[in-house]
This record gives sequence, C-alpha cells and structure tokens, in this order.
Amino acid sequence: MNSWYSKIDAATLVLWLLLIGAGLAAIYSTTHGAAAELYTSTPRQNFDRQVMWFVISAVSFVIILMLPIRFLQLAAFPAYALTILFLLAALLFGREINGAKAWLAVGPAQFQVSEFAKVGTVLALAQLVGMRRPKTMGLSVGLSIVGIALLPAMIILAQNDTGTALVFLGLIPIALFWSGLEFDILLLMLAPAVAGYLSVVHTPSAIVFALVFTAFMWWRTRDRRVAGVAALFAGGTTAVASFAMAKVLQPYQLARVLSFTNPGAAEFRDNAGFHQLQSMAAIGSGGFSGKGFLEGTQTQGAYVPEQSTDFIFSVIGEEFGFVGAVLLLALFLGLLVRLVTLGTRMKHPFGVMVAAGAAGIYLIHMFVNIGMATSMLPVIGIPLPFVSYGGSALLANSALLAIVVSLYMRRDDFSIYGY
Amino acid sequence: MDDTRLRFRVFSVFTALLVAVLVLRLAQLQIVDYSDHSGESRSNAVKEQRVLPARGMFFDRTGRLLVDNTPGYNLLVTPRYYDAESTALLAELMGVPDSVLVERVAEARKWSAFRPSILHGDVPFDVLSTVLEQRHRLPGISYELFQKRRYRSEANMSHVLGYVREIGDADLQAMRDMGYRPGDHIGSAGLERQYERDVRGQVGSAFKMVNIRGQVVQDYLEGQEDAPAFSGYDVHLTLDARTQALAESLFTDKRGAIIAMDARTGGVLAFHSAPDYTLDLFTGTIDDEAWRYLTTSPEKPMFNRVTQAAFMPGSTFKPLIALMALQEGVITPDTRFYCPGYHPRGNGRIFKCLDTHGSVNVVEALRESCNTFFFEMMRRIDVNTLDRWGHTFGFEEKAHIDLSQREVAEGLIPDSAWYNERLGEGRWNEGVAMNLGVGQGEILVTPLQMVRYVAAIANGGTLLTPHLIDYMIQPETNERRMPDRPAAEALTVNPAYLEVVRDGMERVVSEKATWLQIPGVTSAGKTGTAQNPRGEDDSLFIGYAPADDPQIAIAVMVENGGSGSGNAGILAMFVMEQYLKGSVDMQGRQFLWKQVLDRRSEPLLSGTGAP
Repeated sequence: MNSWYSKIDAATLVLWLLLIGAGLAAIYSTTHGAAAELYTSTPRQNFDRQVMWFVISAVSFVIILMLPIRFLQLAAFPAYALTILFLLAALLFGREINGAKAWLAVGPAQFQVSEFAKVGTVLALAQLVGMRRPKTMGLSVGLSIVGIALLPAMIILAQNDTGTALVFLGLIPIALFWSGLEFDILLLMLAPAVAGYLSVVHTPSAIVFALVFTAFMWWRTRDRRVAGVAALFAGGTTAVASFAMAKVLQPYQLARVLSFTNPGAAEFRDNAGFHQLQSMAAIGSGGFSGKGFLEGTQTQGAYVPEQSTDFIFSVIGEEFGFVGAVLLLALFLGLLVRLVTLGTRMKHPFGVMVAAGAAGIYLIHMFVNIGMATSMLPVIGIPLPFVSYGGSALLANSALLAIVVSLYMRRDDFSIYGY
Repeated sequence: MDDTRLRFRVFSVFTALLVAVLVLRLAQLQIVDYSDHSGESRSNAVKEQRVLPARGMFFDRTGRLLVDNTPGYNLLVTPRYYDAESTALLAELMGVPDSVLVERVAEARKWSAFRPSILHGDVPFDVLSTVLEQRHRLPGISYELFQKRRYRSEANMSHVLGYVREIGDADLQAMRDMGYRPGDHIGSAGLERQYERDVRGQVGSAFKMVNIRGQVVQDYLEGQEDAPAFSGYDVHLTLDARTQALAESLFTDKRGAIIAMDARTGGVLAFHSAPDYTLDLFTGTIDDEAWRYLTTSPEKPMFNRVTQAAFMPGSTFKPLIALMALQEGVITPDTRFYCPGYHPRGNGRIFKCLDTHGSVNVVEALRESCNTFFFEMMRRIDVNTLDRWGHTFGFEEKAHIDLSQREVAEGLIPDSAWYNERLGEGRWNEGVAMNLGVGQGEILVTPLQMVRYVAAIANGGTLLTPHLIDYMIQPETNERRMPDRPAAEALTVNPAYLEVVRDGMERVVSEKATWLQIPGVTSAGKTGTAQNPRGEDDSLFIGYAPADDPQIAIAVMVENGGSGSGNAGILAMFVMEQYLKGSVDMQGRQFLWKQVLDRRSEPLLSGTGAP
C-alpha cells in the first residue's frame, strides 16, 4: 500500500512551482534592479511580501491536501455562501484600492475577497453538478449554473472591478460546457463572445460572422429554432455592442475600450493607450532572446504602469524575450491540460467540475491578461495567475489548485453514489 | 465517459488554440516588428548626456602654467520630467527664491522639454550634495561636471587670453550645430575666442538609462556606446610670463600699450594693454557692476590698445624717414644739413626744432632727434613715396597677431590722393609732407605696427609676422597644430643703410639718453613724444637689444606719459632687461623705477572711474 502522498500529482506541483518562480523572478526584477535605490520602500518590499505569500500559500496547500473529499463536498455551498457574504461586506464596509471596493482587512493583511469568491464559486458549481444524476442535465441546472456565477459577478461589478466580474461571466460557458450540455448549445454560448469581440474591433466582420455562424448552425442541425437562436445571439450581440458603443458608453469609456485597437493613436497614447503602448514596446523590444534578467530598460525604468501586477508579462517579454514568453505560455498550457486530465481521470462530476473550473479560471486570466499586455484586448485589470504580484490572488489560485490535487489524490474515495 | 473524453479533447484543443494565438501575437511583436519596438523602448529609456571636455590649458614660452581648469558642477533640469511641486524643496536646498527656479525651468522648456538644460550653473559642491541626497524627491533634476577656468599666473594677460563666459544668445543661434547649449561656456575674446575650436575640445557623449521620471538609473549597456570627450589643445604661448608680469605692473595707473617681440622670430614676449582687468571676474557669473564698468568706462579696459590704439608716432618715425632718404638717394650717410633751431621754410615759425643742432648728418640727426633734418628729408620726398615705404614696413596694414583681425587697426599713412580728398586738389603743399617727417600730422600707427617696424630694422630687413602662439598640442595624442599665419617678408633694403640707421639708434642710448642703458647689455632705441589733445603728451619708445645681436624688439606707448625718454623708454628698458637677464638690476636705478611707477595717465571724465 502506497503512502497517501505518493498519489500527489508531481507534474502539477512542478508546474505550479515553476510559474510562481517565474513570477518571483519578474517581481524581483521590478524592485531589485539598478533603479532600486530610486524607489521608496513600498515597492521595494514587493518581492519579500510575495515570498511571504508563497510560504502562506504552500502551507495552505498542504492543509488542503489533508482534507477528505467528503468535507470539500459538504463545505462547497457554505464556502460559496461565505464568500458572497464577504463580497457584500467588502462592498459595504471595504477599503477602496485602485478604484475597486473589493478589499477586507484582517489584522494587518488586506484580502481581495473576489479572488476567494472564485474558489467558492467553483466549489458550488461542482457540488451543484455533482449532486445530479447523469442524463438529468435539464434547463434548471443550466440556469442554476448561470445564477451561481452571475451572483458574485454582479456584486463584483458593483464593487467597480469590471475585470474580475468578467472572469465570473467567462466561467459560465466553461461550466456549462463541462456540465454535460450539448455541443451545439455550447457553440451557441460561445457565439456572443466572438460577435462581441468582432463588433469592437471591426463591425463589418461581426456582421459577416453572424451570417456565417447562423448558416453554419442551420447546416449542422437543420433545425430552424437553433438557427434562429444562433442568429439572435450572434446578430443580437453585434447589434447591441454596436449600439452601446455609439450611444450608451461615455466617450472616456469608449476610448478605453477602443484604445487597444490602436494604442499609439494621438488621442490615446498619453492616456488610455499609454499602458499598452509601453507594454508593447517592452515586449517587442525583448526580441527573440530578451534583454537579460535585470537588463530590461522598460522594466528598470518603470515605463509600464502596474508592471509588477497586471502587466507583469511585459517584464518577462522584455527580459526573457520570445523564448521566455513562449516558455511561460507552455507552462500554462501544460498546467491547464494537466488539470483537465486530472479531472477526467477522477471520473466523478464533482472532481471534473472543480478541475475544469480551476482550468477555466486560469485560462481566462491568462488569455485576457496576456492579450491585454500585447494589446490584442482592451485594458482589463486582471492578474496573471501565480505570476503577478498580489497575495490574495496567489493564495486563492494556489488553494484552488490544491483542491484539485487533493481530490485527485483521493479519487478512489469518491462515492459512486455520492449524488 | 466518452462524453468526458470528447470534452477533454475540445477543451485542450481550444486552450492550445488560444495559446497559439498568443504565440503568434508574440512572434509579431518580438520578431516581425522587433526593430520598431526596440526603437520605441530605446527612445524612451536611453538618453544621451554630454561629457564636456577639458578645455585646453595655456603655458608660457618656458612651459610655465598660465591657465588650467578646475571642476565645477551645473545643476540640470529636464522639463519633461520636472515636477513643479518640488520647486519649493529645491529652492530651499539651493537657497534661491522659488520665482528664479520657475523662470529658469520655463526658459529651459523653451529650449527643449526632453533635453537637460542648466538650471543653475556652477553650484557649490555642498549645495550639490544636499540636492542629490533628495534626488528621489526631485524628478527631472540631474547634474553635469564642467571645467571652469583657473588663472595661475601673476600676470593678467587679459587682452591676450580673453575671457571665457556663458554663451550669449547670438553665439548660441550661430553655433548651435557645433554642440553648444544654453549655459555652456565659450571663449569670448582674445585667444580663447579666436582658437575656441581648438581649445574647447570635442564634446563626448554618454548614454544613460533613465526611468519614467527622468532619473538616471545606470549606464546604458555599461557605456559601450559612449564616445569619450576629447580634450582641447593646450596652447603654448611665446609670451614670457615674468616679463609680461613686470610690464603689467609698470603700467599701474596708466593707459597705454606695450609689445615686445623676439626680433628674430616674431614671437611676442610681452603684450599688455592698460588698463586691463582680471579674467577671474568671468569664472563665476560676472556681477553687473563689474560688467558695466568694463563695457562703459571711458578708460575702455576691454579695448586692446596694442592692436587698436592708433596714435601719432612722433620721433619714433624718424628711423623710417632716414632709411627711406638713404635708399631713395636724396642723401648719403655723409650728407649734412644745417639746423639753426628751425627749418628755414616757414621762416622759423612753423617748422621748429627742439635745439640748435648746427650741421648734422643722418646718424647725428637720429641721435639728437633733429626735427630740422627730417623736415628737410620730407621736403625732398613726396608723400606717395612715404606711403609706399610705410606699407613696406607694414604701416596702414593689419598685421597678423593670432587674434581676431577685427581687433586690429590699420592706422594711416596719407598719400596725395588722401590729401586731395581731404584738403582739395592743389590746396596743400610740401609743408604738409614735411610735418610727416617728424611723425606728426596725419600719420596714425599702432604699437603692433611699431614693433614689427623696429624689429625689421634690428634684424636686418625681415618684416616678421607677430604671433602669440608657439604651438598647440593635444594632451592625449600629442598631435601638434599651428595657427595659419603669413610668412615673414624679406625687405629689399640696402643692409648698409640699415646699419646707418641702427648706428643712429644705438647712439641715442649710448650717447644721448644714457639712463636708458641696460647694465651689461648694449641696446638701441628711439624715443618719441607726441602731442595729445587731452592733457600731457604721449610718451613713446621703440627699441631693441642687444644692439649687436638683437633678441628683443619693443614698442611702448604711454598716454600722457610725457617725454619718450623719461617714461616709455625707461619702461621699455626694464622690460627688455627682465627678458634678457631674467631679472632687473635695481642698483642705482631706484629713481628710474619710481619715476615710471609714479607716472599716471590723466583720468578721463571724472566720476566714471573704476568701481
């Protein structure tokens, strides 16, 4: 009989440590380079703080490994309820940092509650799906999934943290996808996202997409209702997005949304486009092999605002170049694929859903964050998981990962009739 | 479970696609558009700073250091990064009013928002230190090292060296392409100005990495792209510092000029225009009152009397007249003329002599400075011949002197055309010309022309090119450079006649004005006393020594100095002695020394003297 820890998935652990290591290296570069003496003490302590948060995360990781599956399942809804309460508390009594009222103070530490809400939401979604028998995935479950994700998203939106709210919304199609919905329904769920993106970038493309997508769905299903919904989703999103940009959004909001399409334009480069312009200059000037650790002029000169948090990728792109950036992407790809592999091997809806939820959250963060840093997407302030500076995110993301590893380690304990 | 496996595949492929999109985007940014972004990041973070070169030093003919440099610090501001809220702190640290800083930053911004400009020049080191300690609170503030002039000699040499000061607007406009910036120092007169290109050196550049607030983070690429500054050429002068210092001290309280020259090479040994000023006035920021005195005083301290003061030569012109008369054949060395105390033309009322010399030949006439004899010479020679001879010896021409030709005057030797124009054709006669024979009338000469002329007599007929610079040398490469200058000119004068003139000039010192003798050295000279409409006569002297092997030629003019033998001559004697013997023998000559020192030029316009 093998001891319990022999079933820990080593690959996940290694990828987790490598990502955190890459993050620590990048944070170190922003605070301990040649310009260190020009900084006041606060940013200089970022590296030490992040190391401390890593230690806390590692301890939490071990603790979570001790928890039995049954406990996690039972704790899922209470945890969700608790995080919702905390979100409301933060909204009412919280501290405002960078414009978002998303922080609660516990002793000397500040916690960004929305980060922990992701864990609670994933657990709740998993528990919801796990309690159902297979082949009973009706409309009510689908609506419940949407509701569970939508509730924290609305509160976080009220906290004025649009980026994090979008992550919860992004979780909806992923959860629906893994909950066992039909493939066609999945495509319908994705269509609005694509149509919305194209509307912002190039409206004619969005219209073409809506037509092609509708025709494709009709060709696939020969079902008038499906084609109608497809037309409604794709065309409707295009229409609504175009209308919103033209009539609803304030000019400064529109500028912020549009600036990513051309951050160097005269009207954006000093305000909305500045972050992305500097970030692109940093990443692009890194070239193939990078300028070298602590040698990035953009990084050492602090030209990219928020370079240790939301724009941490610019540091890696500049100092480690294309090679380093692609390596980091490979680590992410490896982690995401590994997570869903673990999920499918668990052969239990709860495990599948937790693993898929975690992978989904990391995927959204990674793609949006790097897309923003490379100016493919508008500036949406969400961190790069495990890499960006920020204790709450590191702890929450690590905890979520630990839950997956813990479940996988004890996968034989899943009750076949657990639901 | 097939269902789950399908979802697993779809999710994995979807994830891989998203990652692939990001990889393509990275390839576009980092590989395809690399050079664009590289340029952007470089123009962001890499700033070029100037490395100011060490200005060339000056040495005298013996290698004595005259001028070198001492480091100073300029406080710089880059307006783009400057934070107006730090003005109060900066003003407090520097001890200047806020308004001064606000004004200077605005001025700097006008020049360039992105380039550092001088906020405050020549900041004391302790002030600089306190400012740098607060650097993290003062974005856009930096400093540069520069070299300021340090004058190491007891001699001022102000009109030779010229001053170095902050560049003016006009020069800045004209010389912007040569790398000058507001607040830079530039040679503004004398040799410092004329050889600015050589003495300044080449500005180097250092590339620095700056952060978003304009603060220097570190050297860019460890200085690989830096270009070092190239020091200016050191200038080795022909001046003798000790002779110069003596000449300057003897001119205390006087106006006038002295120039001494090596009679064989044309190298200037002493060059002084009085009154002068100390160049130290300009090393910091010159105060307004001193500047006003220098530029508006009727004493004209900045006026270079050696090259620009044009005056009547008086009797110092007689050797030229004698030489011309001999060579033109109107007399022989033995020709005698009778002096009854006046020239007969004009019945003794117009052409007076100072004495009744009786029958004199040319040598005796030179020794006695007999006016009658020289009136007669010019009665026999027309003004155009004199004009030609004047030009032969460099009169009415600008002599080269290594200084700006704008600072050199031509003087005047009138010819018939000149008189026709001034007085009308046929309305002047030989009487006008006769007056020129004793160096009176319309003739105007400068000390620079006088010394060339006397040196040519002394060295046997070579009209030298006076020069101040022996050579220039680049201290790092030892590359030598010589200023462009015309060659010396051999005159077609009969050496025998030159010998006659030299004989006369020797006798001036050996037989007539014997107090002008240098102990142990034979010398020759000619005194002159010219009328000055403002007060006492001007005192003049030209001469050379040793008489048999001339090494030094000299010309002296003292405004209101009285007789040539009583003042300018004594002054010249001491200066020549200092040069030839390295010291002045004071035994039995204190009264001469005192006589020269006590002499004052009459002050011009009361109430506008020195501060």
